[in-house]
Amino acid sequence: MMSGLGVRAARVVAVAAFLVVGVAHAATPAQIVAPLGLPPMTVPEGNPLTREKIDLGRRLFMDRRLSHNNTMSCGMCHVPEQGFTSNELGAAIGMEGRSLRRNSPSMYNVGYQRTFFHEGREPHLEDQVWGPLLTKVEMDMPSVGYVVEKVRQLPEYRGLFEAAFGGPATAERIGQAIASWERTLVSGNSRFDRWYYGHQADALTAREQAGFTVFMGKGRCAVCHLVGDRSALFTDHLYHNTGLGWERTMFPERNSYKVQLAPGVFVQVMGAMLKSFEPPQPDVGRYEVTIDPKDRWAYKTPSLRNVALTRPYMHDGSLATLEEVVEFYDKGGIDNENKSPLLQRLNLDYEEKTALVAFLKTLTGDNIEALANDARLAPASPPNLSRDPSDAYSESVAGHP
Amino acid sequence: MFMHSKRNSIKTLAAAVAAVVALGMATLPTVSQADETSCSPFTPLIKGQEDFVYVWTLGVQGIGDGSDKLVTVDVNPKSKNFGKVIASLSVGGRNEAHHLGLSDDRRYLWGGGLDSSKIFIFDIHSNPAKPKLVKTIDDFVAKSDGIVGPHTFYATPGRMIITGLSNNKDHGGVSANVIYNGKGDYIKTVPVPTTMVGGAQGDGYNYDVAINPRRNAMLSTSFTGWNNYMMDLGKMVKDPEAMKHFGNTTVMWDYKTMKPIKVFNTPGAPLEARWSWAKGDNFAVTTTALTSNIWIFDQDKQGEWQAHNVGTIGNPADIPLPVDISIGNDGKSVWINTFMDGTTRYWDFSDRYHPKEVYTKKIGSQVNMVSQSYDGKRVYFTTSLLGNWDKKGADDEQFLKMYYWDGKELKEGFSIDFYKEKLGRAHHMKFQVRDLKSLQPLRAEADAPDNVRLASLPGDGK
Repeated sequence: MMSGLGVRAARVVAVAAFLVVGVAHAATPAQIVAPLGLPPMTVPEGNPLTREKIDLGRRLFMDRRLSHNNTMSCGMCHVPEQGFTSNELGAAIGMEGRSLRRNSPSMYNVGYQRTFFHEGREPHLEDQVWGPLLTKVEMDMPSVGYVVEKVRQLPEYRGLFEAAFGGPATAERIGQAIASWERTLVSGNSRFDRWYYGHQADALTAREQAGFTVFMGKGRCAVCHLVGDRSALFTDHLYHNTGLGWERTMFPERNSYKVQLAPGVFVQVMGAMLKSFEPPQPDVGRYEVTIDPKDRWAYKTPSLRNVALTRPYMHDGSLATLEEVVEFYDKGGIDNENKSPLLQRLNLDYEEKTALVAFLKTLTGDNIEALANDARLAPASPPNLSRDPSDAYSESVAGHP
Repeated sequence: MFMHSKRNSIKTLAAAVAAVVALGMATLPTVSQADETSCSPFTPLIKGQEDFVYVWTLGVQGIGDGSDKLVTVDVNPKSKNFGKVIASLSVGGRNEAHHLGLSDDRRYLWGGGLDSSKIFIFDIHSNPAKPKLVKTIDDFVAKSDGIVGPHTFYATPGRMIITGLSNNKDHGGVSANVIYNGKGDYIKTVPVPTTMVGGAQGDGYNYDVAINPRRNAMLSTSFTGWNNYMMDLGKMVKDPEAMKHFGNTTVMWDYKTMKPIKVFNTPGAPLEARWSWAKGDNFAVTTTALTSNIWIFDQDKQGEWQAHNVGTIGNPADIPLPVDISIGNDGKSVWINTFMDGTTRYWDFSDRYHPKEVYTKKIGSQVNMVSQSYDGKRVYFTTSLLGNWDKKGADDEQFLKMYYWDGKELKEGFSIDFYKEKLGRAHHMKFQVRDLKSLQPLRAEADAPDNVRLASLPGDGK
């Protein structure tokens, strides 16, 4: 259904600096300066960056009216001040509180991703937004046309698509605008970058440097979270079975759960007490895309940039801290038939684990606050439409053949 | 259009008070004022038999029209329709219908949706047996500067205090109280403190408010944000991140200035706020949903507000989930419902520092709201807590049940199965009478005439 929406012809556009040059329909070209540690970004030829598209995309991303009942924006799950994910939820919650299976992935440096969603079902950033917009458990818009009509009828968008694209809102343009803003969520020049790529010797402490040694060596982290000679995205863009997804699907219920009732107050709640509520949903990961048994319970390697800000971790948000993540990998993940052979028991000692966590915390970019502030430039609470957009559309075309 | 005005309200009030005075002091309400569960002291009360119970009902996909609705039940035993649904008014959509609140003259009923943040105002005086929807406020979030989840509707003269539970920045629990006038126009937003106030750190979370005009005091409690209250309860309990985000504070406010006086640490989601109206009491009570504690709030000899943890409900390790409470009109008893075991518990508050649970009864597989009549002889229960917190499958009973209470035992008067009637999930209840002239004067006015004047909010501009 979505095949007509994407930008198919892509070429690499080396982005070096912001330029302001007049072009057709008065759009203002924009380019992104790749900060220290990040490579130039690939931008599709059919959707060149412009200031107008970026501004429009920001507004669309943050607009709760893009959900059927006006309660959910993209930014409600990818909260700018919470690492463009949600620090308050393991797996996300959609419209009317419907349960998602997975944690909201962070949006930092999303323009460098090759596929989207944890199982990589979407190859194009321009098309990606239509997944959440139309999915019942997320924003639950009834149809593509409904979204387009609603955006066209919202007075705050009057003239904005014309300025950005030279024409009215369409499905393709909505995706292009949102993708354009998302590509600006670039974050690098971390302390690690200044130490490793900028050769600033004192940018990392001795412990953090030791952690990098563990990361690259005994910890085997860099096998999947790649570090290049001139830049690092900390991902191989591939899918791996760590055993976590397998366990969550094959053995979804525990005998008991440690539950926090208040700060410092915990109880063990028996699983049987929760039988009257929603059971965990199965999730087979990459297999759901390829239908290839080798991909069962494999998930995409996430970037580690800004990882200190994007808790909770793993595809389902089931690990709360970086320390828990390190412990998980130190044990070599969870054994199952399809577990990646790259995962092995590491036998890290306490110092190595501590150093590794310290290193991971050096990957925070230097523009976190600026990116959050930029997102909040979008209007916070524009009013809802007083009429259903499909009713208004039907009336507007009444009498026309 | 929407006809309420402050002038009419005060005029009605003055007439009611004058009539009572003309009949002599003996007819004035005595120290035991009407409770009616949670009515504002600025709302006239029903002294005798209530004629109708309005039930704010959550729509359920696949049940009837699937829409939220205001259900009217005839509860007068003398009526041929006793114990029957006599009206059902769908408002459209599933808004996470939650609480109702009466206007200051009891002529209008406000109902909120915690998800859509819509507010529906019903005319319940033109024909109390058949309410009419006269106004829908659908710009609450925009007007309030991003507050989500209108919960409590608490009337003061010419005003409605609306507690918000969440916000549109992150759907977390930091929120505010939002003031509207009686016509449904926005006036101002008062954030819940996130700073140190009176020696304790505010967390900004919000839930309920209740006012004691005798002390110019308003107590607010704290729950959780949209992320949690919209989530399946079982999923949430298993999510360690989600469980970190509940309110742990209550706040005592200077009601007139709407300034926080003191923040209290009351860990584990303190919910309903109720004041005792017995003469000389001036204490409030709340219960914590997660930690299952009973807290009371009163002033020490120096006049400073203090919080006291005075009891434990059930076994906290089982998370019985104390939800709604209803304080007796003399402040000597409190009904406490525990959702998970579907049980109501009667607590003797004769010694409020050492209350005792003296009676329990299982009402159903789940139970949430409890409302008692003026004299405490009739007690009503409904089942729904939140759309996604209610149990699933056979345990998802949805009903309104009325019991007679003789001080020793609850005996069922009637029961209505809200699923069988194709209505939905039965949540908040409010009472009404057929003849509004029978309403009692305001508790605040009877206590001290200055309290109504005191209630006027300064500087609100309208």
